[in-house]
Amino acid sequence: MTRIAPTRIALATPVPEDLAEEVAKRVYFVSDVITGFSLVHSQGHITAVDVTTSTAADPGHTAELTRKLNQVIATDVAGQRHLPPRVIWRNDGSGTVRDVFDDLVARGVAFETGEGQIAVGEPFLSLMDVLDARLLALVKEQFTAQDVRYPTLIGSDVLRRTGYLGSFPQLVMFVSRLHDDTDAYTGFLDAIGTDGSLSQAWRTHGGDIDYCLPPTMCFHTYQQFTERQLPSPSTTVTARGKSFRFESRYRRSLERLWDFTIREVVFLGSRDFVLDARTRLMDSTYTLLDSLGLGGRCEVANDPFFLAGADSTWSQRLLEAKYELRLPLDDSRDVAVGSFNFHDQHFASAFGIRCAADEPAFTSCAGFGLERLTYAFLCRHGVEPAGWPAALRAEVRT
Amino acid sequence: MSDDLRDRIRAFVLTQTPGSVVDDDDDLFASGLVNSLFAVQLVLWLEQTFGLRVESQELVLTTFATIDSIGDFVAGKQAGAAVPDGS
Repeated sequence: MTRIAPTRIALATPVPEDLAEEVAKRVYFVSDVITGFSLVHSQGHITAVDVTTSTAADPGHTAELTRKLNQVIATDVAGQRHLPPRVIWRNDGSGTVRDVFDDLVARGVAFETGEGQIAVGEPFLSLMDVLDARLLALVKEQFTAQDVRYPTLIGSDVLRRTGYLGSFPQLVMFVSRLHDDTDAYTGFLDAIGTDGSLSQAWRTHGGDIDYCLPPTMCFHTYQQFTERQLPSPSTTVTARGKSFRFESRYRRSLERLWDFTIREVVFLGSRDFVLDARTRLMDSTYTLLDSLGLGGRCEVANDPFFLAGADSTWSQRLLEAKYELRLPLDDSRDVAVGSFNFHDQHFASAFGIRCAADEPAFTSCAGFGLERLTYAFLCRHGVEPAGWPAALRAEVRT
Repeated sequence: MSDDLRDRIRAFVLTQTPGSVVDDDDDLFASGLVNSLFAVQLVLWLEQTFGLRVESQELVLTTFATIDSIGDFVAGKQAGAAVPDGS
């Protein structure tokens, strides 16, 4: 196989090194021909990105990649201010931490079914359910929470209303179907023949995009209360469901899936309620982690806005609108297993959710990635149940 | 902080909070008076208007929480004169 040499893409404006991660998390989304990359550092700045591509480089091809990468950098990164990291909770946990993904695969507990898609069996499955049950119990102890199971699909109009399309177009996963017409079915079948391209045939005969796969659970909750006054100025809803984000080549083991499970808790009501509820849930989550022997940290974070401008990113950090709970997977890597978010009146205004009279409500939410949480637990305690905390081991069917 | 400085900051804050009564010691963020992008707009306005640079370590919300604290910050920067005014 011929190895294609990396292509160097110069940045029109060097990016300070402390924003390197903001560059790195966007490179694969610049173009699907990029199969690998490394940042080029010089004198405290990122000055270029070396990329490997699935197609041979030529001057026109490189010029296109240069244009696209610089567009993304100019839009999303260059205007950002780096804020010093701020950790608000830290716990060392017990023992050492070791990445166990290869162990899980070797034992047949986890296996890949597609890009960013990992199937899991026992004991992972039961452990995940028990951890979720602990989270749910913690929520129900503190809040009068309505437990809801939402359908998997979410309306495209709902997703548009959240603003998600404008902020994270790179992550959206659409659901489609054939145009509901006999000629479309026959035309599609003729086009695919025995080995024709499904994608090509769909582009000709596909129907509308009425639905998407939800990137998070809380959007369902805002739809639930659309154009309504909340039943209480301190409303809490919790749901567990599958969530989907196109993570491109950033997919990695159970760390970053395209298809994963979230336990979500949404607070709707007065500003004081949603902020206080977020804090209380964070504090009780730390206590839960401590009881499970799980160390980690919680810190100020931001979402991966794409082609959406830099202001939202550093505004989110400055206002501490988002905290991420990160647990270690080995000596050098960790993963966000949960986030605690304050949305001000953004979603309530978008969906006409009122707290009282004509005043839009405030919202906050917490989302826990259950596969990640379970995986981080196993990296801490090992895949053998004998190594798990006794109280939890008794709950897990092994 | 001079009256002129306070007045200019107050005038900017009021453009973002139409119809609201804002005292100089009101916490703009805790009270929900301003939207989520206000902090960013404020920092950029301060830099442009007063020819100063808000450094990374100075990006702390409490600094920009009230008209008083914003004024104290600008006055401190001006007194330090560490940053060219860019004019």
